[in-house]
Order: sequence, then C-alpha cells, then structure tokens
Amino acid sequence: MKPEFELYDRREFFGVVTKTAAVIGLVAGAKASAEEQGQGTANPFAYDISRFQKTDPKLVAYEEVNRWPIPHKEARRLAIGPNDQIYLCAGNFINCLSQTGQPGVELALAGPACCVAVARDGTIYAGLRDHIEVFDSKGAKTALWESPDPKSWLTGLAAGEKDVFAADAHKLVVLRYDRHGKILGRIGHKNAERNVPGFIVPSPFLDVIIHRDGLLRVNNPGRHRVEAYTFDGDLEGAWGKPTAAIEGFCGCCNPIAITTLADGRIVTCEKGIPRVKIYSASGEFESVVAGAESFPENAHACSDLNDCIHGGIDAAVDSEGHIYILDIVTGDVRVMKRKA
Amino acid sequence: MFRRLKIIGALGLMLFLALIVCAEQRFPPPDFENGYQLPTTSTPAARHLWLQYGDTAVFLAALGLAVWLIYKKRSRRWLFCLSLFSLAYFGFYRRGCICPIGSPQNVVYALFNPNYAVPVTVLVFCFAPIIVALFAGRAFCAGVCPQGALQDLVLIKPIKVPLWLEHALSIIPYLFLGAGLIYAATGTGFMICRYDPFVPFFRLSGSTFILTAGALFLLIGMFIGRPYCRFLCPYGGILRVASLASKWRVRVTPDVCTQCQLCEQSCPFGAMREPTPPGTNPKWLTAERRRLGWLLVLLPVLVLVGVWAGSKLNSAASKVDPAVALYERYARQQIKPVQYSAMSPEALSLQRAAENPDATLKAARDLQHRFILACELLGGWIGLVIGLKLIALSLRQNRTDFEPDRGACVACARCFTSCPNERVRLGLMPATGEPASL
Amino acid sequence: MNLTNGQPPANEPVSRRQFLRNGARLMTMTGLGVAAGALVSRSNGAAYVWQIDPAKCLHCGNCATQCVLEQSAVKCVHAYAVCGYCQLCTGFFAPEPNELTTAAENQLCPTAAIKRTYVEDPYYQYSIDENLCIGCAKCVQGCNRFGNGSLFLQIRHDRCLNCNECAISRTCPGQAFRRVPVDHPYLLKTTSR
Repeated sequence: MKPEFELYDRREFFGVVTKTAAVIGLVAGAKASAEEQGQGTANPFAYDISRFQKTDPKLVAYEEVNRWPIPHKEARRLAIGPNDQIYLCAGNFINCLSQTGQPGVELALAGPACCVAVARDGTIYAGLRDHIEVFDSKGAKTALWESPDPKSWLTGLAAGEKDVFAADAHKLVVLRYDRHGKILGRIGHKNAERNVPGFIVPSPFLDVIIHRDGLLRVNNPGRHRVEAYTFDGDLEGAWGKPTAAIEGFCGCCNPIAITTLADGRIVTCEKGIPRVKIYSASGEFESVVAGAESFPENAHACSDLNDCIHGGIDAAVDSEGHIYILDIVTGDVRVMKRKA
Repeated sequence: MFRRLKIIGALGLMLFLALIVCAEQRFPPPDFENGYQLPTTSTPAARHLWLQYGDTAVFLAALGLAVWLIYKKRSRRWLFCLSLFSLAYFGFYRRGCICPIGSPQNVVYALFNPNYAVPVTVLVFCFAPIIVALFAGRAFCAGVCPQGALQDLVLIKPIKVPLWLEHALSIIPYLFLGAGLIYAATGTGFMICRYDPFVPFFRLSGSTFILTAGALFLLIGMFIGRPYCRFLCPYGGILRVASLASKWRVRVTPDVCTQCQLCEQSCPFGAMREPTPPGTNPKWLTAERRRLGWLLVLLPVLVLVGVWAGSKLNSAASKVDPAVALYERYARQQIKPVQYSAMSPEALSLQRAAENPDATLKAARDLQHRFILACELLGGWIGLVIGLKLIALSLRQNRTDFEPDRGACVACARCFTSCPNERVRLGLMPATGEPASL
Repeated sequence: MNLTNGQPPANEPVSRRQFLRNGARLMTMTGLGVAAGALVSRSNGAAYVWQIDPAKCLHCGNCATQCVLEQSAVKCVHAYAVCGYCQLCTGFFAPEPNELTTAAENQLCPTAAIKRTYVEDPYYQYSIDENLCIGCAKCVQGCNRFGNGSLFLQIRHDRCLNCNECAISRTCPGQAFRRVPVDHPYLLKTTSR
C-alpha cells in the first residue's frame, strides 16, 4: 500500500501551490486595476441642477464694465442716491461712494447697518436692525425713529416724496412712515378681508421699492413673486413663477432684492442659483443682467457651505441705467452696462 | 454683590446674543395658529437583546446535542435532522448572521480597535465551537453550521478528490483566514463575510457575482462533498487545527476495528485514513527523518521569505481600504483628472476629500503604516502555513485501525453504518458470537 | 457499548502524541480564556447595530442600490422640528415644477413616497411613506440644498438585518456608516446643519 504522500506528489503539490498563488495574484491584480481605471458609477438619483447654472448667452443683455471692493466687511444692501452716489450698508457703517468706488462720507452706526434709502433731497434713512435713523446729506444725524417692535428686522427701505417705507422681514409687514417717523400704516400684513395673503419670508430678505406707476413693489420670497401694493395697503397685483428655470424664481425663497429701471422695468436678484434678471413692469421675463456663472462664490456659499442666510446679492440702478450689483459673499460691487 | 449681578448680566447678554445668532442660522419654525402638533420622528427598535441571548442559547444547545449525537447516540439520521434544524434556524431565520465563520474577524477587530467591543454573544459564537473541537472534534461542522448543512443537502454523488490536489487546496482556508484577519485588524472590512457564497441564499438576495459564486459552489457540491468547508472556510481551518488536539475522536467502529476495510470508501469528504503497514524499512526511516529535519530547517526560511514577499504586497493590499483608495483617487485626480458622472459617489467623495486634503492624506498614511506590518505578518503567516503543511505531510502516523483523520473529519457520522460492528450494535446484523479478527 | 474515544486505558503510560495533544489543548484553552477575558472586560454586554451619520452623508444614492435586501433598509426620515413647512418644499418639488401640486410630474421623489398635507396657509406638512421610500436621497439633496435640511437618511431597524459588515458601508463615499449601541440605534438630526 502506498504511503500517504510521496516525494513525487510533493513536487506536484508545490506546483499546485504556485499555480494557485499565481491565479489569486492575477485575480486580485485584475480587480484592483479594474477599479482604478473605471469611470465610476453614475448616480441615477442625482439632484442635478447644473443645467440651471448655465445661462443662455443670448439672454444676457449686460456686460461688466467695472468692479471694485467695498470698504467694510459684512455687506448687506446698497442704494443709489439722487446724485448717483452709491450708499453701502456694511458692518456698522453706511458708506457713500462715488461711481468708481472712491470713498466719501461715512456714517458710523451703533448697530449693524441693514438697509438704506436716500430721498431726493439727500436725506439718508439708515435702517438698523430694529429702527431707523435719519441723517442729512452731509452725514449729521438728525433723528432717531422709535423702534416699531423689538423683534423687527428691517431689510429694505424706500424713500418717496412724503413717505418712507420700511420692510420688516421678521414681522412680515411693510411699514409706512411719514418724513417725521410717525407710522401711517402697515402694508402687506396678512388680512383675509382685504385679500392680502401675507408675506412668507423664510430668510431675512424683504425689500420694497416705489415704482413710477405710484404703487409699491414688494418681493414675497416664500411665494416666489413680486407684489404690487397701494400706499394704503391694497394688493393690486402680483407676478412670478416658482421654478429653477431662467424665467422664474428658484429655490425656496426668491427674489431677495428688487429695484427698478427708469422705464419701469424691474430688476430682481436671487440666491441659491444667484442671478440678476430684468422683467417688464407687468412681470414678463426679459433678459439676464448677470447669470449664475458670474457668482461662483455665492453659489458655493449657499450650496456647499450651507450658508444661505449670509450670502446673497443686491442691485441698484443709477440715472444712466447702469446696474450696480453688490456681491455680499465676495464683498465687491460690479458695474453692469447694457450691451450695445 | 453688584459684581455678581454684572457677571450674571454679562452671561445673560451673551446667551441672548447666542440665541439670536442661532436663530439666524436656520429658517424660523412656523407659528401654527390652528393648534397643529408637530409629529415625532418614529424610531422602530432593533431586534431585542434577549432574542440574541436566545440565539446563543439555541446555539450552545445545538452544539451539545451534536456532540451527544455523534458520540453517544451515534446516529447519522438524527444528526442530519439537527443539521436541517440549524439550516432553518441559523440559516433562513437568522439569515446566516451572526455566524462563527465570520466571528474571528470581530475578535481581531476588537483587539486592534479600542472603539469596538465584541458583544458577548459574538464571543460565544466564536469560541464555543473551538472549545468543542478541542474536546470532541468538528461537531459544529456537521450538526450546527448552516453553510455545511446546505452543502450536505445537495451532495448526490461524491467523487474522490486526488490526494495531492486535496492537500494543495487545503491550505487555501488558511490564506483566506490570514487575509480576512489582516483586513479586520486594520479596520478595512470583513472579507470573510463579503465573500461568503451561501449567506445571500439565506437572505434571498444579493449581487449577481456572489449569487453566481454560491450557485457554482452548490453545483460543485453535488459531486465534490462540502467544497467550501474543505477548501475555503477559514473557520474550518481553525477547527481543523483545534481538532488535532481533541480529547476524543470520531471512531467508525463502536468498539474494535476488525480491519474489514468496508468503511474505506464511506467518507465522501476524503477523510478516512488507513492503518499504517506494520514493520518499517529502516532505510525509509532514515530518509524520512532526514527529510523532516530539512523541512524543519526550511520552516523559518519560508517564514522569512513570506515576510519579505508580504512587504512587497503592501501597497496593493492597502488599496482595498476605502480611506487609502480615496486618497489614491484624489491624488490621481490632481495629476490626470478623470471626468466622473455628476454627483456620482466617486465625484462626491472627491469633493469631500478636496475640502480637507490634509486629513485625507493623514488617514491614508496612517492606514498604510498599519498595512506594512499587517502584510509582513500575512506573508510570514503564509510561509508558516506552507512550511507546517509540508512538515505535517512528512510526519509518520502510526495507525492501527481505519479511522477518520482528526482534522479533516467533519463528524457527519456517515461512516458509522458501513462498519459491521456498528450494524451489530444497531441490531441490523446478528452477532456471530465470536469476535471477528484477522 | 463502550464510548471508545481513542484514549489509552488507565494504568498505561501516556504516549508522546497524547501528551503533546493534552498540552496543546491546555494552552489553547488558556489562550482562549485570556483573550475572552480581555475582550469581555471591554464589552458592556450590549450589541451593535449600523446607522448613518447624517453629518457625513453625501446623499450619493448608494443606499438605494447597495443594501443586501431588495428594498433597502435605509429610508428617508423627517425631523419635523427642523422643517420650515414651506409651500414650495425643495425636497418635495422638482426644480422645474409645472405647478405646486402633488401631480407626479412635479414631484422629486421617484416613487412618490412623500405625502404633502395642508396644515394652514402657507404651511404644508411633508411626511414619508416608508413602504414606498427606496432610500435614494433625492429629496434629501433638494432639502439640504435650498431648504432647512430636515430630511435625512437613516437605517430602519425593523427592516435592517444587521449584517456583520454592512454592504452599503463598504461603498459609502462619505464613510457615514458606523456602529451604534442597540439601545440607541438612531442618529437623528436635531438642528438644521
């Protein structure tokens, strides 16, 4: 009877061991190299909005002619005065700058400068978080208006001939003041009898402008529309569509800022997919001032850093129709001129 | 007192400011006017802990029953019933998890990772079959293992594997064990669980690759008995070694072996061994002793060669680890960018790595460091396994009876009824009145 | 019938093999005992289950496809206290909805697993039907991108098999899977980020 294992079989055993090792090595190597060269797997459930982040060049009607940094950090709003001077709210300061960014008067405030409006006579209305302070055109403080509510958060101001309007993002109302600080009315507050549905403002961006047709325009970000009110608070109309496509307002709460061109067309600013667009006075989409490609840091702040509240853009128009865009994330102002 | 008030006031102001800042961080919660109550997120509980203790109790009971059925009752039929119960309970009911085959990984992972503590149930699943093997052989394999039971079910016509092939393939379980434990020690993953071919059947779902592999194993298992147990199962490798030191051994005959050779072909797993012929040629003895001597000297050489070979495998082996693979992908992306699909897992992982490249690099380097030692150990282990196998093949076994090999026998009790003395014990054959002898 | 066990009868000297075997057995038992003792002293008796850390999750969609179960044990859950209850929920609506209704073309979820119910103007409640949810994280991406981030993925332990090595955890690009004690098996979001 053969012993269990002979020398002859041992050689075969070695052979088998070597072959097995070689096979294992090959398989492991093939697997490793396959993983390296692979293009990866596609995600069939991707929430892909990259197509909205590209703007059709045919729609862009403006080009950037200038760009300059702002003097302070934490910019919030900008406004343009009667002499085409730019008034910037940044930090606890309101800076008056020339069209090329040369500094002029600087107003130091006791608290954060949230919004600003300049009347035709040069009076500067500075909106701090919960109250308004009035300065003359030289920068001397002339009045301090009482706070309407300790929880107020004023994010938009508009100064007319006889009235000053303040948009309160927390109390969800636009306050109508006279030139002396007395509250004449509350506009936009939810009221079923007057058919006013009320503002939805998830993040503090409520803005108000006085349109040349005598009505106010207020953005209603949560409802993705721009609403028109009389000075007494009647809702005259609204327009706007919630969609990430170019003709609507994207994300959860847009537009965040509005302003008007001299001929009554409305300029809107959005965050999330940051863009500045122009609509007709009745709300038809017309053109793009600056598309999402112009604001990469802004888009990054909202999507990757999850900081939608501190991002954003604001816009204002001077008498020649140039649009000044304040980029809150990068801290600069861009001057946009209509293309030929 | 005023100073205390001022401090409290300052703290209160800071808290108020902090709250304001927090309020700015997210969109405000709605003020519901109609009395709407916020629902709570449901949290369905996991399987009760006492059920897991119950599983352990069933496991120990099954082990004890298997030992009793093999040694006292000596009944293949009852052992088969026990294995069916194990297949149903540990296989299809518990979906094959947690099983002893993978549990050494948990033990090793716990030894090298202070963050993880092995649950007591897993320890029992790991050690109990080994302790049983130290006393009563591989009773776990026959009676309790669901993977083994599945292979036993499909065995139709066992073919004998040539002896040299059987010996060659029998070192694969130790390679698998070594690789699996290395990857568990570095925290990369549980390879033994990943490449278990039968658990996807218990779960009734799995990837195409592993289901095909399982089907292949079952197909092969129809003709080659228990292919996974003999040639791949790492835990089987541990039990094999433990059984070599077992106190009791499975005996074909209930009392005396009459050398009738009727049991020689009865083992479908090639574990039956013959008695060694009496009287040895002294020339052979000297040659054998010299060969053994050389193999003993060769053993440390093989270990060292293995350590050296293992150190060469380090970079390839470490790429399996996800942290190392991520860093490699990131580094490659800087040199030669690959366009991954938008928001695919690869693209997202690269974005995450780009946020903090230093941390990614550090994690990868730490792991590669661990892998250097791990691969050297693995190489040395493989060298040791090959050396010990060669030595084991050269050792002389003095056997007087036909009996199954201690390590290879899975204690399935198939061989019992082939023995005439067993048949006499069962009453299937009349006793002849004289003890049969040569 | 004797229980023959290969041991020599008493009074006969123990063979060398037998002695070595006994010694090996004793050493192994001691080693196992030491190892068991070292490991048990660290263990608190509790077992572990798998869970996703929402802070690390990258919403890559692997949870829907990599689970060993056909319908993944990972589902989207909603942290109601974090939700803004917005009329336009960016986790519910597709980026380009035709209108803000529950029509399937306007919804983001591929299986329409999110249920939108009116609470009061302008608030809507969004809740997830777990029998329909496949754990693909599309809604989680929408909610985190433009919303509060109140939707997130979690492993549901009435479905999870608690594999020794979670198959999804192997492929998770954010390495968001970790073992948690079985008596606290969820890592719920309580804040927006």
